Parts: sequence; structure tokens; C-alpha cells
Amino acid sequence: MSGKPYRLSDAGRLIDRSKRVSFTFDGKTVSGFAGDTVASAVMASGQRVMGRSFKYHRPRGVVGLGSEEMNALIGVGKAERHEPNLLATKVEIFDGLSAVSQNRWPSLNHDIGAINNVLGRFFSAGFYYKTFMWPQAFWKHVYEPFIRQAAGLGKAPTGRDPDVYEQVHVHCDVLIAGAGAAGLAAAEAAAASGLRVIIADENPRLGGLCDIGGGLIDGASPLEWAKTRAAALAAADNVQVLTRTTVAGHFEDNYVLMFERVGDHDPSITAAGTPRHRLWKVRAGQIIIAAGAIERPIAFANNDRPGVMLASAARGLAARYGTAAGVNGVVFTNNDDAYRTALMLKSMGVGVARIIDSRTNPESALIDQAKAAGLDISFGSSIAGVMTSKGGKQIDGIKMSPYNRGRVTNETKVDCDFVAVSGGWNPAVHLWCHNGGKIKFDHELQTYRPDRSPDGLLIAGAANGTFDVPGALAEGYAAGEQAVALLKGKAGKIAKASATQEAQAKLEPIWFAPATGAYNEGDKHFIDQQNDVVASGLELAQREGYESVEHTKRYTTLGMATDQGKTSNILGLGVVAEATGKTIPEIGTTTFRPPYTTVSFGSIAGAHVRDRFLPVRRTAIHDWHVANGADFEPVGQWRRPYCYPKAGEDRHKAVTREILAVRNKVGLLDASTLGKIEIKGPDAGEFLDRMYTNTFSTLKEGRCRYGLMANEMGFLMDDGVTVRVGPEHFIMHTTSGGADRIAGWLEEWLQTEWPDLKVFVTPVTEQWAQFAVAGPNARKVLEKLSGDIDFSAEAFPFMTMKTGTLAGMSVRAYRISFSGELSYEIGVPANQGRALWDAILEAGAAFGIEVYGTEALHVLRAEKGFIIIGDETDNTVTAIDVGLEGLVSKKKRDFIGKRSMEQSFLKMDGRKQLVGLLTEDPNYVLPDGAHALEDATGKPPQKTLGHVTSTYMSPSIGRSIAMALIFNGRARMGETLSFSLDGKVVKAKVVEPVFYDKEGARQNV
Amino acid sequence: MSDPVFRSALAHRNDRNSVPGLSIGLTEISDRGMIDLRGAASDKKFAGAVKDVLGVALCTKPRSSASAGDITVLWLSIDQWLITCPRSAASDLHGRLVKALDGIHSLAVDVSDMRAIFRLEGDNARVVLNKGTSVDFTDGTLGAGSVRRLRYAEIAAAVHVISDAPCVMDMYLFRSYADYAWSYLSKTAAKASEVKLFGVQVGIGV
Repeated sequence: MSGKPYRLSDAGRLIDRSKRVSFTFDGKTVSGFAGDTVASAVMASGQRVMGRSFKYHRPRGVVGLGSEEMNALIGVGKAERHEPNLLATKVEIFDGLSAVSQNRWPSLNHDIGAINNVLGRFFSAGFYYKTFMWPQAFWKHVYEPFIRQAAGLGKAPTGRDPDVYEQVHVHCDVLIAGAGAAGLAAAEAAAASGLRVIIADENPRLGGLCDIGGGLIDGASPLEWAKTRAAALAAADNVQVLTRTTVAGHFEDNYVLMFERVGDHDPSITAAGTPRHRLWKVRAGQIIIAAGAIERPIAFANNDRPGVMLASAARGLAARYGTAAGVNGVVFTNNDDAYRTALMLKSMGVGVARIIDSRTNPESALIDQAKAAGLDISFGSSIAGVMTSKGGKQIDGIKMSPYNRGRVTNETKVDCDFVAVSGGWNPAVHLWCHNGGKIKFDHELQTYRPDRSPDGLLIAGAANGTFDVPGALAEGYAAGEQAVALLKGKAGKIAKASATQEAQAKLEPIWFAPATGAYNEGDKHFIDQQNDVVASGLELAQREGYESVEHTKRYTTLGMATDQGKTSNILGLGVVAEATGKTIPEIGTTTFRPPYTTVSFGSIAGAHVRDRFLPVRRTAIHDWHVANGADFEPVGQWRRPYCYPKAGEDRHKAVTREILAVRNKVGLLDASTLGKIEIKGPDAGEFLDRMYTNTFSTLKEGRCRYGLMANEMGFLMDDGVTVRVGPEHFIMHTTSGGADRIAGWLEEWLQTEWPDLKVFVTPVTEQWAQFAVAGPNARKVLEKLSGDIDFSAEAFPFMTMKTGTLAGMSVRAYRISFSGELSYEIGVPANQGRALWDAILEAGAAFGIEVYGTEALHVLRAEKGFIIIGDETDNTVTAIDVGLEGLVSKKKRDFIGKRSMEQSFLKMDGRKQLVGLLTEDPNYVLPDGAHALEDATGKPPQKTLGHVTSTYMSPSIGRSIAMALIFNGRARMGETLSFSLDGKVVKAKVVEPVFYDKEGARQNV
Repeated sequence: MSDPVFRSALAHRNDRNSVPGLSIGLTEISDRGMIDLRGAASDKKFAGAVKDVLGVALCTKPRSSASAGDITVLWLSIDQWLITCPRSAASDLHGRLVKALDGIHSLAVDVSDMRAIFRLEGDNARVVLNKGTSVDFTDGTLGAGSVRRLRYAEIAAAVHVISDAPCVMDMYLFRSYADYAWSYLSKTAAKASEVKLFGVQVGIGV
């Protein structure tokens, strides 16, 4: 086909013929002009096939002019910058652009999958549900790999995307989606009020179809008017004009997502570090949808052949890019608008063999113009088939027959090499429907148009089913004014343009053009080309009982491709209506969901990538940890050192060394992440009594007490040490993960249940860097530092707290222990944390101090049988279950969880209870979460006796230890439980859950 | 700070003094002290005692601030304020508040190290904030003196508008998130990412 004059010499208003642009399509160099799209340049080069279809692998060409395109999907860019599934009709070319066709294997011209086309009768509607079902094992190893190779749309990029993406939140008074005639008029009226107006259009330029839609504004081409409007809006200081920006979704309370392709069209933009895509999150007072309309095709036999395209696309390609769809075309229509295509193509020197109009006797000015221009017109006719050669890749002509609903018996051949088809226009009601706008069927237009809507949503122009220029303009102005009025803004004065357009003859519906032969054999009438849904498939779905349109959609995949049925929706409904003898409104319609067109993952991630993917919380000691080789683990959003491996150590060796350092010498732990909450007021003691299961009102000043916190259900939710620092003043410690949650929990109870309690709660977690100094040498280390705190056993007994100075800093010192050793926690204002940390390490060097991480902390506490909320508890465990009944007050009138804990089922025998486990093999460490089984040698399913909650190799006692929640565990002391692990039976003895220093002597020295 | 003991939340970052290629001024403020104060604004004794110490009455209008000399009060909620002052004066001011409020139901805590403070300056600062928060900073409602608590990127923060022209704003956020927030601000404030809202635009055609 190459060599023919597909680039018209006197057309193409958007291309700059002085600027040649060279790019590649499937590796072949293609030359176009600045302003071209991939579609217009490739077609101008004489190539029509742009891809293969999804299921049948039929060759496909360009059908649409913009975002309605469903066939010409391409991958653009190389390697990590590759992006699949872009529309060739929207991708603007630049020098060096690399585009590839998709869904062909191995190549566009020779495609193995095309055999599916021959076997098409076996690929009927619902074929995934019907075939490949047997034998079962074939699915994984035979069917799925084959289908995955042959099907699928595009390839993923090969590496991390190097480009930048971002999001921005913007508020405006009026948002206008679409900048065609109606949108521009609406923007002018809205902007005149001085309100903040955003107008966004998916195209690189404003104006919509002002260039090819016909009509006159102020006596000239609507394009001239659009030019002046665009300039005025761009110059206004209260208007944001966004091009290449798709209003992709409309949500609750006029929240709108807009997808801006900032740098796709020019690599120098992204090279400068400018975001490639930007996602706009807009909250608008009023939204005016001026999204235009989408032309719909007609289903005729082999209507998917490359060269069959929408009439508006054939017209637009010629007018905008000077690209002719062919040398001799046929226009097939049921309405007047396609006559504009015939007239325009003819005026540009493109052959128009015939206009085939399904209407019997239409009369209008446009038809008269066509006749006057000498165009041949066949009324009451339709296309019965497309004749092709070269494997369907080239159109040789069409078969024309009188249009009626029966089988075709008489046909005339018309030579042509392309077909421009129009079945009418569908308002783009997608945005209108996203958030609950209703639509109704319009018999005049034979399509759905807007009906009722939620507040704040207006619509104008073609999107509202008003296709003529004067009507669109009037609706645009009116919508702009109405938006201002609804916002109680001050209407501004504007000079409204006046428009004229010839009257058009009525459209007559035609959905399905009969062919010779049965339509479910051989020749296919395509409805949804991207998903290869054919008319016979829709008809079959009806016969098989998938009558609801939502069922038809899912069974046949109609409208489920990336184009979301932009061209196929109404056409499919029309075919289903004819097949069932119903009307389209009786059939209903499927749901319109966001996004309108695809939105990139990059824009959804925005700046939340790399070190901004998740907020990582850093303690004041974080960079020391990093510099000293800490192996981190996530704890909530914090990163805490799990351990500090030295050269040659694995995690296990490091943890063992750290534990033994604490047991034998002294260890230092960064415990800054622990939650800290100041609680003060005359009722603070009473408040804590209600929040904890145990009593705090009796706590003496300067004393610490371990507390358990339950929720209303009686289940443990937090624990920690609280200290009384004044008559009305307490400092509570929470778990690291619970810090924010518990602060909110306390505040909620004060605000919603006990507003009478005079208590203030202020979370201060981040004010303090806090370290545990634990081990037999802990006192010696702290005593070596200068300061005024007496760390002696007599002056500073276990479970007390002191304030004072240490190493020249003001500190809070707590003598508490989570390791069972002599231990102090020292808190210091965070910005001095590092200085104190360094001072302790320096002072501790002589005493063998080592830093330890969270794993050593966990093992140390497990050796002592201390629970961890979230390990030994899982929101179904009470204080009694974990053996801490002594911390559940019997005296207090009430506390959160008290009533629940008195329910019989929380007190009954046989609940899971916390026990210790010692395996028979002291070197075997039970896996976390392992279940003890009633009969470990039996076959599954097996009854569980409970599960392991914490399990470690204990260096302190030189054997493995575990804690477990076992049904009726405390009554099983001494029993042996069996686990089925690694194909073996592992036995463990039930023991008390304290493995080391049972009498607690070590912490009390 | 010259104090060798003091390390701010950004001490580990090489770009803490200046991030290259930004469309705004971005600096860390580390010499400011902060006191969290809770009490009932309707309690005349409380309000009076606080005013005596601060030299300025607690602001009770939501999202507002008040200042006298080098002390500024930021409204955080109906019974909570953040009082800022020079860091070197915070401990003394806290002590005087606690003393003056003895016997009055209240809670004053020195939280000078709990938050990091970043200063944003320049015409583009408001749009930069809107790349991380849905609160509208561009509609003119948050003028000089306003205090707005908000969700920024994925964290809690508060913004105090110091002045409108030139635009100067202080962002308060919890210390542990300083690195994250600095990274997010630096990235979205890049000159190459500049977004100009509602103004004259070039390159718009039909």
C-alpha cells in the first residue's frame, strides 16, 4: 500500500510540514510531521494495520480520532520507560519515539494466533467458562501458558520507572470538563464572575470538534471563535486551563480526579525533571460536563477490517493531519453528520465512491449539498459485507444491499479501499454517571442522554445530547451562568456569540446490517472490537439465558476492555434489543465507572515512591544505628534495630551475643519508640483506675506500676508502666505500636463517656529519647556518669522513678525491667538523645556494654515469661488467660472490660491459657504459630489444642523455650503435647511460662 | 545551635541547610522552644494566669494565633495550645506557667523536642503544600496568623502562616517524621515541578 498519496497536500491544520519528525513503529522508521499522532503518521505512511485483536488475532486498524479508539493500542518507549496500551490516536510523535504494536505473535503481518479466527466457532461467547475446563491439570500447564502467550495487551516495563510523578490538590468554584464549543462558552460565562474556574481537556488543544463539526459562529468557522476564547481564558487570572488533561473520575461531593500528561509529548520536559504525569485532585463547587459525544459504529459483516473507521475519524484525520484514510472510500450512515465527512473528503481530493444511507427518504440541506457536489448516494441501503485481500489487511470493496431486517438476497459490489461509518452519536455521559447521575433513553437520538443528577453537576452541549453548534453554545453559556448563580457569585458581563447551523434530517436507528449467510458463521459483525465481542455472541448469550444486560456484559465481556465500551455500549444494547424483541430502555444499560480513560500507575503513586513510599519514623538515635550496622525491622512505622551483627555474625549469633551481654554485663537499648502520655488532673487517679484492669489511684508519688489495659470486650489491648509524678500527675507508657492508638483511646473516653472527669491527656512520645540500661553492671555505668541521681539500691529501689541530671542533661530515670535484670530506663529530651547515648556507651565501655536490639529484648522477656501484646494476645485473650489474674482488680467499682470479664464464657475453664513449653529436643525451636494436635500422627483435619505464641533459642538457659496458648493449659502442667512438623512428631512438655530466675532476684539488687 | 549536645531531627541530612533547585525557600527552624498547654478557655482563673505569664491572651478563635514579643500562641483545639518561644527560654517559661497554674486544672508540658519545624517561603509555597494536603491553601482564607492542623502527605502536621506577602509559613510535624517530610517537601517543591495556579498561561491554542 505504500507509495500511494495518503498525505494530502492541502489539508492538515495541525501539522507543520517544515518540521519532519522521525520515529519507529515496530522497529521500522516512520517519518511524519510535527503535530502528527502515531496514528496519523503511520497511516500517512501507507500502513493500516496497527495491531491484532485480543481473541481472534484479526488485523486491526485505526477506528477513532481520539480517546474512543479501541484497536490501535500501542506500547511506547523502551525498557523501563515502556508504557503499554496507549492509543495511537492520542500519542503525539517526537523525534526518536519508539512505538510497537501489541497483541501479535510473532509479528504484525504473520500472526500465529490468527488461527483463532478460523477456529472462531469454538471461541464463542463465554468461551472461558465453557472450554479449557478439563482435564483440570491441563489448566496450569497447558491452557494458561498458551493463553497468556497469545492473549494479553501489551508488555510491562522492564525496570523501575526513572521519571517523576506527582499529585496536587486544587479547589475551584467551577470545573469544566471538556473545551469544545459548549465548554468554552461555559468557561467564559463562569470566568466572567471572577470565580476560580478550571477548564480541562484531554486533547493537546482546545476547541473540541469546532474544526470539523460544521456550523458558523459569528459568521465564521467555529474554530476562529474558539481561538479567541482560548486566548482569553489563557490570559485570565482566575482561570486554570489544562490541556492533555483527562477528567477521569467524578466522586462524592464533587471530588474529581484529573490525569494530566505533562511530558509524554516532549522528552525534554521529563529530562528536565518535570513530572511526566500529574494527578489533580480537585474539589469543585460546581462541575459542568462538556465532554462532547462519541460516534458509534454500525455492526456489519467484517466491520473490523483495517480501513473501516468512524466517519468523524476519517474527517478529522484529513482535516487535522492531512492523512487520507484511503484513495476511494464509502460512507455508510444513518444520519446527516457523516455527509460532512463525504463532502470534506471530496473537497480535499479524496475519492468517495458512494454514500450508503440506511434511511429511505431523508431530506436536508447537507444531503442536497452532497447531491450538488456530485456524490453518489444509495438510500435505504446497507453494507452486507467487506471484501478483503492479503489476509484481511486490505479492503477491496464492499457488498451493498437494500436495508431490511431479513437475510440478504441481493447485493451490489462497490469498489473502495476504506469505509467511513456513522451510526449516530452517543453523548459522553460517563462522568455524569460516575457519581449517581441518571440517564434516560432519547428516541430521537436513539441513545441515552442525561436525566437527573446529584447537586453540583451540570451538563452542556453534545454531552447533553445537543449536537448542533447554536444549541451547544447556548447550553454552555447557560450552564456557566447557572453555576455562578448556584454558587451565589456575581454574574459577569460577556458578549455572547451567535451561531448558525443547517437543520438536519432525523437519524433512523440501525444496529445490525444483515449479511449474506447466517450471521453466527464466518463473517463476523463486531460490536466490541477490543474484546472481540460479535453480534452472534450477544445473541447467543440471550439464548443461553444471560438476559440481564449486566450478565450479558460479563458473559460476553462486552464493554470490559480498556476502552470500557465507549463505541460498543449502545451498539451492543441495540443488537441485544433486536435479538430479544425488546426496546433499548427495556434492556437498560451497564454501569459507567471511573476512570473515563486509563490513568497511569505512576500518577497514582505520585511522589509516594522510594524513601517517600511510606513514612518511616526515625528515633533520635537512628543514624547511629545505621552507622553501626543495625539490621532493622519495622515496628509500626518505626524502623528499630533487630540486632547489630558484627563482622562474621549472622542474625542468630548477634542476638545470642547481645542477650548474654545483658545477662552477664550490661546492655543498652534504644526504647524511644515506647508510647509516653502525660495525664494530669484532679480525677487522674480515678481515670487510670477505669482505663486499666488494675489500680493506680493508690500508687504513691515516685512509684511505678505495670498496668494492663483491656477493651470493652475484656480482651487485652495494651500494657506498660505508669508512674505517678505528682499528686494529680501521671506518666503512662504504652507499647510502641499502641502509642497513638492509646492516646486516642484515652481522649475518646474522656470526651465521649466521662466529660465530667477533670483530666487532661497529652501524648509526649516524641519529646523523649529513652534508653534501657540493663544488666548486672547497669548501676555502675550510670554511676560513672556525672549527675545528681543516687542510683544505689537503697535510694533508688525497683519500680521507682527519679528526675535529675545525668551527664549534664536533665533526665527522667525509671528503675523498671523488661529483661529481668537490674535495669534503668533513662529519658532525655530527644534532641539531646544522641549525646546521652554516646555518653552511656563511653561510660559503659569499661563494663562491657553492648547495644542490643528488639530480638534480644524479646528473648530476654520471654525467658522471664513477660507477655507482649500482639504476640501472647490477639484480641481474644484476657488478663486471666495469660495468667495475670492478680492484675485484675476485684475491688474497683468499674473499669473498661470488667463487665465482659465477668461473663461466664470469659471465666470458664478450658479457655486457651498461657503456658510455657519445653521441647524434648532442647535444640529444636518450635516454629511460631505451630499448633499442638490431639493426634499428631493422624490425618488432617486435626483438632488443635492451641498454638505457640513466642518461641526462641534461649542463650541464658542454653535450650529452646516457647510460650503457647493451650486449651485448659494450666491444668496440663507436666503433660506432653505433640506437634506435627516437618513430617515428624515433635513433643514438648507443658511448664510454667517463666524459664529464668523464677524468683526475680536478679532485677532486685 | 552551637550546643554540642544538641542534634536536630535533620542532623543526619546533608541537605538540611539548603536543598538545591527548589521553587521555594525551605529551611529547618531548630532554635524554637514549644510548650503544649491544656486547659479550659472558659476558666477565667486559667486564662488570667496564662495571660499574666505570656503577656498575651490565649487565642480562642479556631485556627488562629496570637503573639507578644517572642512568644506566640498557636490554637490547636478548644482546650489546647502550642506556645512557642526561643528554645533557650522554654524551660523557664514552662516553669513559670506551671507555677502560675498551681491549683488550676491544666497541663503544661515542655515539648520543645517533640516536633520539627520547617519554614517555607516564597510565592509557590502554598501550591507546594497543596501537593501534600487537601486543605486549600490558595483560596485566601488562610491568611497571616492562621494555624491549620492537617494531614500532610501521610503524616499529621500543622501550618502557621507567618506572613502573606512575602509568603512565609512554618510547618510543625512530629520529630520522627522530619526526614520523610523533608524528602516529600524537597521533591514536590522542585523548580522543575512548579505548578502555577489560576494565572496567565502560555502555549494554549486550538
